[in-house]
Order: sequence, then C-alpha cells, then structure tokens
Amino acid sequence: MSIEAINEQLLRAIGVGVALVDLETLALRFKNDTFVEWFGEEDPAAKLGDLFPALDIEALTSAINDGGRHTTEASFKLRRRTMTVAMEFNRAINASEKIVVLVCQNITRIKELESMIDSYSMMVERNTLEIKREKEQVEKLLLNMMPRAAYEEYKSSGIVAPRVFDPVSVLTLNFVGFDKLQSEHDPGVIVSELNDIYSAFDRIGEQFGCERIRTNGDSYIAVSGMPDPMADHAFAVANAAVRFLRYLGQRNASHPIKWEARIGIATGSVIGSVVGVQKYIYDVFGPAVTKALELRWSAAPMTITADETTVELLDGRFEINASEPALHDEENPQQILSLSERKEPALKSQF
Amino acid sequence: MEQTLFEKYGGFSAISRIVLSLYDRFLDDDDIGPFFDDVELPKLIDHQTKFISAIMGGPATFSDTHIERAHVHLIINDLHFDKLKELVDETLTEFSIAREDIETVLAAFEERRPLIVRTANVD
Repeated sequence: MSIEAINEQLLRAIGVGVALVDLETLALRFKNDTFVEWFGEEDPAAKLGDLFPALDIEALTSAINDGGRHTTEASFKLRRRTMTVAMEFNRAINASEKIVVLVCQNITRIKELESMIDSYSMMVERNTLEIKREKEQVEKLLLNMMPRAAYEEYKSSGIVAPRVFDPVSVLTLNFVGFDKLQSEHDPGVIVSELNDIYSAFDRIGEQFGCERIRTNGDSYIAVSGMPDPMADHAFAVANAAVRFLRYLGQRNASHPIKWEARIGIATGSVIGSVVGVQKYIYDVFGPAVTKALELRWSAAPMTITADETTVELLDGRFEINASEPALHDEENPQQILSLSERKEPALKSQF
Repeated sequence: MEQTLFEKYGGFSAISRIVLSLYDRFLDDDDIGPFFDDVELPKLIDHQTKFISAIMGGPATFSDTHIERAHVHLIINDLHFDKLKELVDETLTEFSIAREDIETVLAAFEERRPLIVRTANVD
C-alpha cells in the first residue's frame, strides 16, 4: 500500500469530519467517512450551503481571500441528538484551483458539558444566596440575643467565656399595675404597646450608650459599660432613665392606656455569659443587676431611684433627693436616693 | 448531618458523569428517545442535572409541579416509565452505586410516576 493510500485511509477513518470544498462552485470534492456519517451523502451534488444553511458564505469567502482561514460552529441533529461541530476552513495550497479544506471537530460533548455547568452553577448560585440570607437571619437573631463581641467569640470558638464587667451601670424598669392592665386589655394590644415602648427605649438607650440586656414581660433591663468599657456609664443610664420617663409622660398624654414606670439604677459589677446549651441565651447578672432591681421596688410611679455609687459618679449633674431606706432591707439599710432632671442644663455633659 | 448520596458519590464531578451517561442512554433508546426529539439540548440537560442532583440530595430543588408541567404534553405510559427506570438502574449500576442507594433513587422516580404517566382514558 502506498503512502498516499495509507494517508487516505487514515483520513477517512479519523473521528474528525474532513471535506474539500471548491470555493468557486461551493461543491464538495471529497468527504471522509465521519463527514458522511454526520452530514450524509445522499446527494453528491449538494453544495456547502445546502449542508450548512446557517453558514455565512460571504464571510467565509472574504475570510479565505484575506487570511486563508475561517472558523465557525454549526449545529445539526443526528438522529435525535443535537450535534455541534467546530468548523475550520483552510485554503489549500493550489495555485490553479480555489480549494479549501474543511475540518469539523465534534464539540457536542463540550456543549453538553457547558449546558450542564451553566445549569449547575445557577443552582449553586441560588443555593449560596439562600444560605447567605439564612446566615444573615441567624446572625441578626444572635445579635439580638448577645453583644457583637460575644457573638464573634461564639462564632469562632463555639463558646462564650463568662466575663466580669466592672464597673457598669444598670437600669431596670417595670410598670405599675401591669397585671391590671393585662386583665383590662386584649393581649394583642398590650404586646403591641410594649413593643412600641420598648422600641422607643432601645432607641433612647442607644443614643446615650446603653444597651438592652433583656425584657421579661413588663421588666426592662439595660446596661452601660459593657461589653466595651465606657467612662461615663452612670451618666448614660441616668440620662436614659430620665428620658424614658419623659417619653412615657408625653406618650400617656395622647394615648388611652397610661403606662407608669418605676426605675432603679445601680452601679457595680456584672457577669456576662451565654447560659444554656440547647436553648442558650446571653445573660447578664450580678450585684449591679440585683441592686438595681431592689431599687426599682422603692421607686414611686414615674420616678427613678439610684444607689449612692451611681449618684457619686453623677457628680451633681442630676437633682438628687434622699428618701427613706427600703423597708425590705432592714438588716443592711442603704441610702435610697431619688433622681430627677435638674432644672438648669447639666454642666459636665459629654453627650 | 447525614451525608447525602450526592456527597457520598463525589458531588457534582461524579454526578455530572452519571447525568451525561443517562442522557446518552435516553436519547439512544428507541422507546424513550422519541420523547426527546423536539427538546432543546440545554433544556434537557438542565432538567436532568437538576432532577438527578435533587433526587440524590444535591443543591437543587425540583418541585413536583415542575416535573408535572414538563411532561404534561407527552403521552407517557407505564411501559415507558418502566423502561426509564431500567435505564436509570443500568446506569447507576455501571457507576458502581450501591444497590440500596440505587433502590432509593428508583423509589424517588417511582414516587413521581403518577405525575408523568398518563393512561389512555385520562387524555
């Protein structure tokens, strides 16, 4: 077998479609077996444009004349499969005739894989977006339950080590006659009103450097000086306390349900920690919280009581009046001080 | 967290091979193939990738409504559906998927039979 014959046999047998095209007549001079398998040989007189109706013959001719090369893609159905071939036309070196060699590579699998990757990446993108959204929800929820620093610690190590914060100031508040209010009104109304009031307290607290620790029914507790230390924590809670009352006073004037609060504020140490394993909660407790809760009981409706430490730190920036020691604390009497706004502006305000 | 079949068999890189192999079998089959005659390639691949991923617990949701809608215009009978399950079984076996996992996948297909098969008198 001659080299030419071997070459021709090889050319016929390879898995690439090969044809010779006469550029003048666009007739196909030669087609190898793969080409025939793909595009048929029923009509030997079929021209290039008959086989590839979508082919831009003008672009092909001009590209061949310019650079001798043209590439494009074509899709066709073979049985029921959509096949795609990458077509490459190269001018053959033949001075007398304008012949181009057409090589068709089967890129069907690549196209199928591309489709699959498109489909899959869309699924993954959608999933990633959903996960991101869920993560944000969880983060939002956890940040409602604990300070950011504790959340970051929880995220990186899975635990939040208990920490002592000292000194901090604590504000506790509840409402006079809450049980009565509950029995007189629809629960939905009470919850909605509380929601409204607590949201206002949160905003006021934030403005003065206090953060709500928790609410439990009509009990609202906020703290200043943790997790980050704050120089004037006593001033922050005192300011928030007087504004809480001012807000309630204004609100009561225009709302049918009158909310009368009593507030206790105290300064000392607290412990901040995540408590619980399954149903965990970031809790703040300790001497300052206990003392503020006690002081709250001594406060008359719409007044604030404070301990001596807090009052010392306030350094005359609020109106202070001594009241009777609390009756329930006979063994360890302590001075209960009533706190209210000064008539003249505070001298050392840093806010 | 329990491992899904999708993770167990190597994620997308493995599943993609299964999907392509299934795709070949479906197209080449004379009973099932004709249903795909007029379906565009990207759409078909998209459906199969999502369905196989979803059935194996991968990152896809493929609702029953979606499946029903995709087949509503086709008259598919029980024999077609049985053949499809046979091809799925063959393909998964070829990819060395454990018998019990193949049964899980086939059961997921079977569950959807009423969404796809239309008996002649229902038409």
